[in-house]
Order: sequence, then C-alpha cells, then structure tokens
Amino acid sequence: MNQKTDVKQGTLALMVLKTLEVLGPQHGYGIARRIEQISGDLLSVNQGTLYPLLLKLEQEGSIDSDWGASENNRRARYYRLTKAGMRQLQSEVQDWQLTTEIMARFLAAKAE
Amino acid sequence: MRALRRLWMRGWNFAARQSGEGRLREEVAQHIAFETEDNIRAGMTPGQARRAAMIKFGPVEAICESYHSEKGLPVMETMMQNFIFALRMMRKSPGFTAIAALTLALGIGATSAVFSLIQGVLLTPPPYEKPDQLMLVNSVRTDGQKMDSPRGWAAEQWMEWNKDAASFQGVAGYGWTFNFLIGNDGSQSMQGMNVSQDYFRLMGIKTIAGRGLEESDFAQGPVKAVVLGYEFWQRALGGDREIIGKTIRISRWSTPPTVIGIMEPGVRFLPSPGAAKEPNYDVNATVDIWVPAYPDPKEQKDPGWYVVARLRDGVPVQKGQQELAVLTSQGARAEKTFEGFGPQLQSVKDEMNQDGRRILLPLLGAAALVLLIACGNVAALLLVRGLQRQQEYAVRIAMGMGRAALLRLILTESLMLAMLGGALGVGLAYGAVALFKVVAVNAVPRLDAVSAGSAVLVWGLMAAVLAAFFAGIIPALRVLRLDPMEVLKSAGPKGTAGVGERRLLRAVAMLQTSLTLALLVGAGLLIRTMAKIAVVPSGYNTGQILTMSVTEVQDQKKWGSFHRQALERVAAIPGVQYAAFAWGVPLTGNNWPATMDIEGQPPPIKESDKTALPMRAVTPDYFKLMGITLMNGRDFRSTDDDKAPSVAVVNQAFAERFFPQSSAIGKRLWFGTRDKPGITIVGEIADGRTDDLTRQASPEVYLPLWQAQAFSKHLVVRTTADPRGVMVAVERELRAVDPTAAVEHVKTLEQIRDDSLASRTFAMRLLVGFSAIGSLLTLVGIYGVLSLSVVARRREWAIRCAVGAQHSDLRKLILGEGFRVIAGGVLVGGVLAVAMTQVLKTFLYEVQPSDPLTLIVVGLFFVGVGLLACWVPAWRAEKVDPLEALRYD
Repeated sequence: MNQKTDVKQGTLALMVLKTLEVLGPQHGYGIARRIEQISGDLLSVNQGTLYPLLLKLEQEGSIDSDWGASENNRRARYYRLTKAGMRQLQSEVQDWQLTTEIMARFLAAKAE
Repeated sequence: MRALRRLWMRGWNFAARQSGEGRLREEVAQHIAFETEDNIRAGMTPGQARRAAMIKFGPVEAICESYHSEKGLPVMETMMQNFIFALRMMRKSPGFTAIAALTLALGIGATSAVFSLIQGVLLTPPPYEKPDQLMLVNSVRTDGQKMDSPRGWAAEQWMEWNKDAASFQGVAGYGWTFNFLIGNDGSQSMQGMNVSQDYFRLMGIKTIAGRGLEESDFAQGPVKAVVLGYEFWQRALGGDREIIGKTIRISRWSTPPTVIGIMEPGVRFLPSPGAAKEPNYDVNATVDIWVPAYPDPKEQKDPGWYVVARLRDGVPVQKGQQELAVLTSQGARAEKTFEGFGPQLQSVKDEMNQDGRRILLPLLGAAALVLLIACGNVAALLLVRGLQRQQEYAVRIAMGMGRAALLRLILTESLMLAMLGGALGVGLAYGAVALFKVVAVNAVPRLDAVSAGSAVLVWGLMAAVLAAFFAGIIPALRVLRLDPMEVLKSAGPKGTAGVGERRLLRAVAMLQTSLTLALLVGAGLLIRTMAKIAVVPSGYNTGQILTMSVTEVQDQKKWGSFHRQALERVAAIPGVQYAAFAWGVPLTGNNWPATMDIEGQPPPIKESDKTALPMRAVTPDYFKLMGITLMNGRDFRSTDDDKAPSVAVVNQAFAERFFPQSSAIGKRLWFGTRDKPGITIVGEIADGRTDDLTRQASPEVYLPLWQAQAFSKHLVVRTTADPRGVMVAVERELRAVDPTAAVEHVKTLEQIRDDSLASRTFAMRLLVGFSAIGSLLTLVGIYGVLSLSVVARRREWAIRCAVGAQHSDLRKLILGEGFRVIAGGVLVGGVLAVAMTQVLKTFLYEVQPSDPLTLIVVGLFFVGVGLLACWVPAWRAEKVDPLEALRYD
C-alpha cells in the first residue's frame, strides 16, 4: 500500500545539510516536510532517524540550533548550517556525485 | 580521528545523559505539534489531528530507547548499575561488610605500609642527575683476598683517570670531614664532604642560593669558601639568607671561611668507608658542609680519597671497569705503594639501597602473605554468601541475564568490598608509617625521607583490586556452573554447602594455614636470634653507663688540660663511679683502622700485605669502668702521657693471633718503620664483642688517650644509679671547663646496644605482628570452615546419633576434619617456610633458616591453637537434636 521507499543509509545526512543550505534556518518538522516534498513524496522520512541525526550533526558541529518562532508563532528549534557543515556538505556532494557517476557507468555497461 | 571523536561524544553523553534525551523528547513534541496543526488545517478535529500525528510519527519510546543505547556507553551504565547494586548489598548486611572489609584492610594496610617504606627508601632515586650512570670506584685487592680495612685512592690515580679514561664523562674525588661550627653558647657538630672541583658538576647538584664551588675556590692553603647544606642551614642558622658572603668560625681552622652558597635540600653523603668508624659518621645523613678539596702536590700518593665516576651515555659498566683496571695497573708499575689494589665499580644506587633492600624486601614478602591470608578469608566469606544467594542468581539467569553479566555483577561486589577495605587499609598504613618513623629510625636507612603520600594510596588501591580478584574469582566462577533449574526446584534459600564447596573451603583454609606457618617460623627464628643475642657474653658491662661525644673545639694547645679537668670534675659528681674518655666505645662502630708492623711478623713486601687493625684510645679508668678484665700485664696509668714512652694494651684475640706461643707483654708495634722506638705492649685484656654482638672479637689495640690525642671521642660515665640522672650535672661540669665545648649524642650504653640491633628488632617486631594477624585470620578461617561443615552435615549427625553414635564420636569426626586441614597446612607450610626463610639469613644469629626446633615448636603450637578453633564447632555438633534435625530437612 505504501509506495514510498525508505531513505537509503547515509544519504539522510546529506539531504538534511542540502535542505538547510537551500532553505536557510529551518526546524525539524520543516526539514522532514521539505525532504518529502523534494522527493515528490517518493521518500518517507523516518522521524526515528531524523531527530537523532539532527542531534548528532549538531554535536559534530556541522549544524547549530537556536530557538525561534515559526510562521504561525509557535516556538521551535531552528537548525542552521555552520561553516564546518558547509565544508562537509561540499565534500559529501562531491563524493556522492562521484559514486552516482561510477554506478551509472557500471549500470550502463553492456557485455562486450 | 572520527572514531575518537565519536567515543568522546559517547563519553560526554554518558556523563550528561539527561540533555540529549531531553532534547529528543522536546523535538518529538514539537514535531507532533506541527503535524497536528497541519492536520487541523487540513480539516480534522483537534483530537483526531493529534492522534493522526502521533500515529504517523511512530513509537516515541522505541526511538528514544534506540537513541539512548546508540548514544551513551551502555557498558558504563551497567557498571554504574552494578556499582549501585553492590552498594545496596553492602548496606543490607553491614556485619558481613564490616568483617570482610576489616579483614582486607589488615592485609592491604600491612602491604601498603611496607611499600611506602620501599617507595621512600628504595624507589625514590637520589637527587643526582641520571643516577644510573654514577659509579663508586671501590678499592679491592687484586689477589682477590678480603681487605683488612677499607682503602681509598691517591689523588694522582683519580686525576689520571679523570684525564685519560674514555668511558667516563668525569671522575671526582671526595672524602668525609667532621668539624664544629663554633658558637658562643655551645658548638654544633657538622658532617661534611671534601669534594674535588668536578664533584658538583659530575653529580648534577646545584646550589639554591649564592653560588657553587668554582675553579678559583680550589687552591693550596687554607680553605676560603664553603657551601652549606640546606638542612644544616635551616637547623643551625635558621635559614638566614644574610649568611651568604659572611664568614663562619670553624674549629681547628685558623682562617674563618666565607659561606658562598646553600646547597639544594636532600643531598646526602657518598660512602667514605675509611671514615665509617668515626664517632659521628652517618652516611645516610644530609651533608652539612661542602669543603673544596685541592690535592696537595706533596701528598699526591696518599690513598685518602674516595672516588665517584660518571659513565658516558651508553657505556656499559664492564667497559669502564676494564679501562680503569688497565690504567690502575699501569700506574702501579711506576709506584710501589699503588701495588696490589684494583678498582671495582659499584653503582651509587646499588650501594645506597643495599641495607634498605636487605630489610625491606623480606618484610614486603611477609606483608604480602598477610594480604593473601586475608584474601583467603574473604574468599571463603564470599563463597558462603554466594551459596546463600544462589536463588537470586538462578532467578537472574532465568530472567535472561547472561553469565558474563552475572560474573561482572559479582566481581563488582567484591571489588567494592575490596575498595572499602583498601580505604581502611590505607588509613591503617598512614598510621603504621608514622609509627615506623618513630620506632625504626635506626633500623631502616634514610627513613626521615619517607612519607606516607600518594604512593601509599596508589599501592593500596592496586592491592585492593588484586585482593578483589583473588577473593572474588572463585565464588564468581562458581556461578558459571550454576544450573538454574536445579536451584529453583529445590525451593527455599540454601544456606549450606555441598561436598564440592566444602572441599574448596578446606583447601583455602589449608593454604592459609601454610602461609601463616611460614610467617610464624620467620618470627620464631628472629625471636630465637634475639634470645641468643641477649645471652651472648659481650665481655663488658652495658648497664649504668652514660656516653656522650665531647669535643673541645677552640684550641689544640688546651686539649690536654680540657680533658684532664673535665674528667676530674665529672668524676667528682655524686653518683658517678668512674669517668673516662674513649674513642672506640663498643657497638658504636667507632675505631680507627691503622696499618702497623708487629714484632715477630715478617716485614710486608707489598703495601696490600701490611696488617691493618682497628685502634682505640682510652683513658686509664676505662677498662675498670667497662668491667673488662685485665688478663696480663698492667692497665694504663695517668702517667702514660706524651712525655712517657708509647705503650699499648691489646686484647686476647690479638695476643693469640700474633703471639700464639709466647706472651704479648713487652712486644712492640710500629706505625711507621722499625727504626723508630715503636710502641710497647704493656697489658692484655679479655676479649669483648665491641664491633658487633653477633661476631667474635677480632684483634684490637688500645692506646692511652693522652698519647693518641683523639679529636672525636666519647665521655663514658659509670654511675651508681640510673645513668640518666646525672646527665644535666655532667653537661654543666663540661660547660664550666669550656662553654664552647660541643656536647652531643647523649645516650646510655644500653641505648647504643639497642640501636646496634635495631634492624633485627624492627624485623622481629614486624614479623611477630604480621604473624599474629595472620594467625588470627587463619584461625577465624578454620573456625568458619568447620562451622559450615557442622551445619551442612546436620542431617548426617542426626542419623549417626539415631543409630547409636555417642557425642564423643561426633566430636572426633569434627576434630578429625579440622586436624586434617591444620596438619596438611602445617606440613605444606613447613616446606614453604624452609624455602622462604632463606631471605632472613643475614638477620639470624646462631640459628639456621631451616632450624628444626623452631619448625617443630611452631608447627605443634599452631596445631594446638588450631584445634582450639575447632572446639566450638565440635561442641555445637553435639548440641544437634537428632529428632529436630531429621524433621527439619
């Protein structure tokens, strides 16, 4: 019934970082929504992994958080990218592009 | 890097466990709130909206749990849980905890106390730079024979080594010196070192104020500059910084020297064996004064220097030794008086630790035995307790607790117990060290530098961990074999032990018995030694004699009149029977080794063949005062002074060795060449054990003090009552003759005697103490094992009674079981004792380490006492009511 796929391991962090880069400071719910939207609702974000991941990224120093008010005046914790996070994002994007390129070549290769 | 960071994060999360989880819950609440809002906007009722949001989010608790176990350190957390559980268990049975902790505290306290002595005396390196490179160059005979008396080196020799020996960074000469700082209200004695120019640099010691000795301070003629030792500066001058640059008055020095600097604290002597017999020589003291010593060109061949050398980096001792040997033998070819002596390198550290190691290592061994015995008791206690808690363990296993986890839990409990014991033990050790510092000052070298510091704490904790392991491992391993089905089936707490456990406990008790026996044998041997020494015929009186070192410090010319007047005045004090001056009071180690030529002996060819004998100098009443019998000839007279012909009195050992056929009276000795008039022997006295109570008398020569004129000496006073009663009067009379006279080290001869036996006494007391503790613990252990056995075999007793066994039969059974344990332990212990008491060999006198009498007496004694410990359980077995016992089970 549920056609959505789960997020592949290790890619969620990259998605979170990219989302924060594009949207700027955002709260957890917003990040989850955004990931689902961008993927065209093909992905379902498991909250059980998202929030621990946010905490972990913050402890590792890639993101930072602060209290802020949401659009309808609800107090919420807003996450934003730090400089270290920016660097991490860049390097992970490169890695990912390399991986997809290699995978693409493999899958495109035919028997000769 | 990343892994490290992760670990750190985990550790941090563990420490601040609340925050991460709190944040997570907060975020979850937020998320659900947002979702609910969105749902309401989409048209749901608030209740529905919230429900939907929560369903979508999923299981909050599971998320938090998995986050928790991912983030924290679960191992640490279980440890914390175990720890808290162990604390609760300890609180629940305070009696058990107290007994186990106290038992361990005794063992841990004993080892920690001895270890802190070892730490302070043996392990703390001397304050020299790289002390391992420092080598004493001892002088030995090249023909391998023992030297009669120690000998140093000639300045010419060590100066050449310093120049030519490639294996060494440098070579320095030194010597011991003794003098007095003259003060108007009594003078202060100073022990000092004469040092050559390179000494400070070579040893790596520095002054803390002023400057050290420099090249310009070393010159011929009177000494102009001295450095004071820190401790002496504090003691005698109150740490006055103004003293630097000022002069001080020193006895026998015509020119008052200037103090140029203060040495750093804690610098002690290097040994000067030739001076070791001086009345004030104490190699373990800190140096009071440093005197620059310039080798006099006229006395370059005089072997009066002791030598220390520093090896170059990485040069082995062997190589340095060979090089010096070659250089020395080359030198001996050119100079006849150097012939027959060779160098023998000994590391400074080894030399320093010789005495300390001899006494402390055996004591550490004994303390370790006490610890092992204590561990045995605690192991037995834990084992029995483990039996009582089998139900609990079975339930834990049934609920899914892994065996490893259970093992950890049990070991944590014993560790906590041991830590408590360790804390108590360290407290005990602090007390013991303070006590040792009072009672063992003469028994252990450099004890003043020992303090019960962090080393005791570290050692105590280490010992505790070890003890926890030893005591806890057997009971802990038992749970590995525990079958929960069996235990749970036999409902009700099982308070008794099976055959297997009882056998194990008997083995532990037997082991304890054997260790205790080894301790007891050691103590027994030392007690026998002390008893033998107590009845040794010393050859002189020790009772009612007061001694003190007295020195006239002002003027050489007044020497004779000062001492004669002093004797007259002291002898006139009421209660004083005799008074005499003497250099060479028994058991002080004082004498003056001299090489001499004796009538009738072949003239020596080589320097090393000359006879060297200990000389002593006394005033006429001395032999009468000491109760030494005159065997032949006459005593000294007050007319035997510097104007009369030189005379000497020798002891029997001397007469027997050198004049076995004829009488020694009338024979002569010479210190120089035979063409001088020489010294005539006028008397022969009975032998006395003046050097050491445990050694036969060696040949001795006494000279009249009026002829020998010793600078250092003792005033010896024989009193009619308690000698301490005249102390004040004697000092007052001496001061009346000369107020600047130095009067120090006031002691009765009995105190001197006790000091000379101090290390034996200390070893004996400590061993007796240790074996008393060990015996007590072992007896408690045996008692415990048998009590358990009586309870466990209750049913058997009942049946035996029912079929007609008498009470005496039961008693025999129990006592038999106890006897087997004790006798087995005693037999094993006997073997152990023979092996272990070898280390005590140097302390024993006229007793062999494997002395059969001691072994038998101690063995029988322990069997006797052990059977007493069995009596109570045996008596309890008789009380068993067969009917009740049969019904109960």
